[in-house]
Amino acid sequence: MIALVEARGLAAGYGGRAAIEQVTFALEGGQTLALLGPNGGGKTTLLRALLGELEPLAGTVALAGRAAYVPQTDRTRLDFPVSALDVALMGTLARGRWWRPVRRADRDAARTALARLGLADEVDSTFGTLSGGQRQRVLLARALVQDARVLLLDEPLSGVDPASAERIDALFAELRDEGRTLLVATHDVESARGYDRVLCLNRTQVAFGAPSCLAQDVLERTYGAELVVLEGADGPVRAIMTQHHEH
Amino acid sequence: MQTALLELLLLAIAGGVLGTWVVLRRLAFFTHAVGAATFPGLVAASAAGISPQLGAAALAVGYAGGVERVGRRRGSAPDAATALLLVGALALGVVLASDLLEGGAVADRLLFGSLLGLDNADLWLAAAAAALALACAFACGPTWTAIAFDPDGAPALAPRARRLDALLFVVLALAVVASLAAVGALLVSALFVLPAATALLWARRIPGLVLAAVALAIAEAVLALYLSYWLDAPPGPTAAVVASTAYAAAVVVRAAIAPRREEPA
Repeated sequence: MIALVEARGLAAGYGGRAAIEQVTFALEGGQTLALLGPNGGGKTTLLRALLGELEPLAGTVALAGRAAYVPQTDRTRLDFPVSALDVALMGTLARGRWWRPVRRADRDAARTALARLGLADEVDSTFGTLSGGQRQRVLLARALVQDARVLLLDEPLSGVDPASAERIDALFAELRDEGRTLLVATHDVESARGYDRVLCLNRTQVAFGAPSCLAQDVLERTYGAELVVLEGADGPVRAIMTQHHEH
Repeated sequence: MQTALLELLLLAIAGGVLGTWVVLRRLAFFTHAVGAATFPGLVAASAAGISPQLGAAALAVGYAGGVERVGRRRGSAPDAATALLLVGALALGVVLASDLLEGGAVADRLLFGSLLGLDNADLWLAAAAAALALACAFACGPTWTAIAFDPDGAPALAPRARRLDALLFVVLALAVVASLAAVGALLVSALFVLPAATALLWARRIPGLVLAAVALAIAEAVLALYLSYWLDAPPGPTAAVVASTAYAAAVVVRAAIAPRREEPA
């Protein structure tokens, strides 16, 4: 199989200073990867490097095919005069000629994507009036309209209501079945065990491999003091003490 | 009077259309600064006896390109760079004006504009700015909106996002230069920021925002022109006062009719 996403010895950062170093991994079509790491550990930097927004300071990065980026919903503007449909239609910019007016086929594709995410009744709703989970689903619909083979998602389940989280999880499974590759930055260690691969990042790559590599020492090296172990009914549960931060 | 009215109508189209993305992209400070940055060029060109707009255009485009590049760098402070260049340009302009220009009337006209001495060249320049603004908004508007909405995700959405974003800065700089004869280096915000900022308080969608910004810019320009005629006041500052008053009134009205949040029991 040919890798759709590949990084070798990647270092990237800002102003010539590396925020991440020695990142090496490869993903094939239809694989999902959970990107774990503490706040400030370099998850967003890695996604930006994969998108080509940051030039590698060392190593190489390669994406086969178009990539879509889904930001954290709390980083989007709520005062913007756009509907859910308008946001989904932004995905057509990647497909067509930039000067071309929106066509009926574009609108149909956007409506279909929104309906797929359970937002058929919210097509004309103003984006800023939707709930956090609904806004996240609109951003995912925009990525679907892009028709990208690789999707990079920055904490897509953060602050999302259970119903939206369930819908998003189901979509991830569908996209994997369609042969698309998903990189999902997340703080949820337990859900990461359901992905095909995990990559632990704390400014440098701590581990990459099957979810079985998420041993206690790997998590401690990844999260340091942010990792706490709670006693649950079915045994110990690992949780991450996250703090809100500005990227 | 007719020439002045036509000039303001054309500039209102350019200002309303481009102002939409000025407020969406949060470029109000840049827009004010790019006008002020042209002041040294206006002074030098006036003293040299060449078209002031030529000197202004060179400075405005260079300034816009510099701010766009600084803003692209993560961790940079584009507002600080804008403020630094704004102060520097004004200071340089004042020094040049004191040495090169005779009398304060010329400096006043360069800073605050005049609708009395407009000629056909000014009208053609305003018409070109309006046409350029409309053409670019039609072709680039969706990409500019995507960039303003989600700057991080825009490069993945639109392959030419960076180039088209830079084009917005350049087109805005050129349109500002076209407005200098009428409103001067310090009052461009009256055309390129305030009407669109006022419309944004009420707009629910982008097309409505563009139309409302243009309509408001035209209404404010016409009102300002007649007020300046009847009150014998300079037209540029009058336009700025009218636009500022309209914005303040819109804010007050919106706050008054906005549904109050229910206090928790």
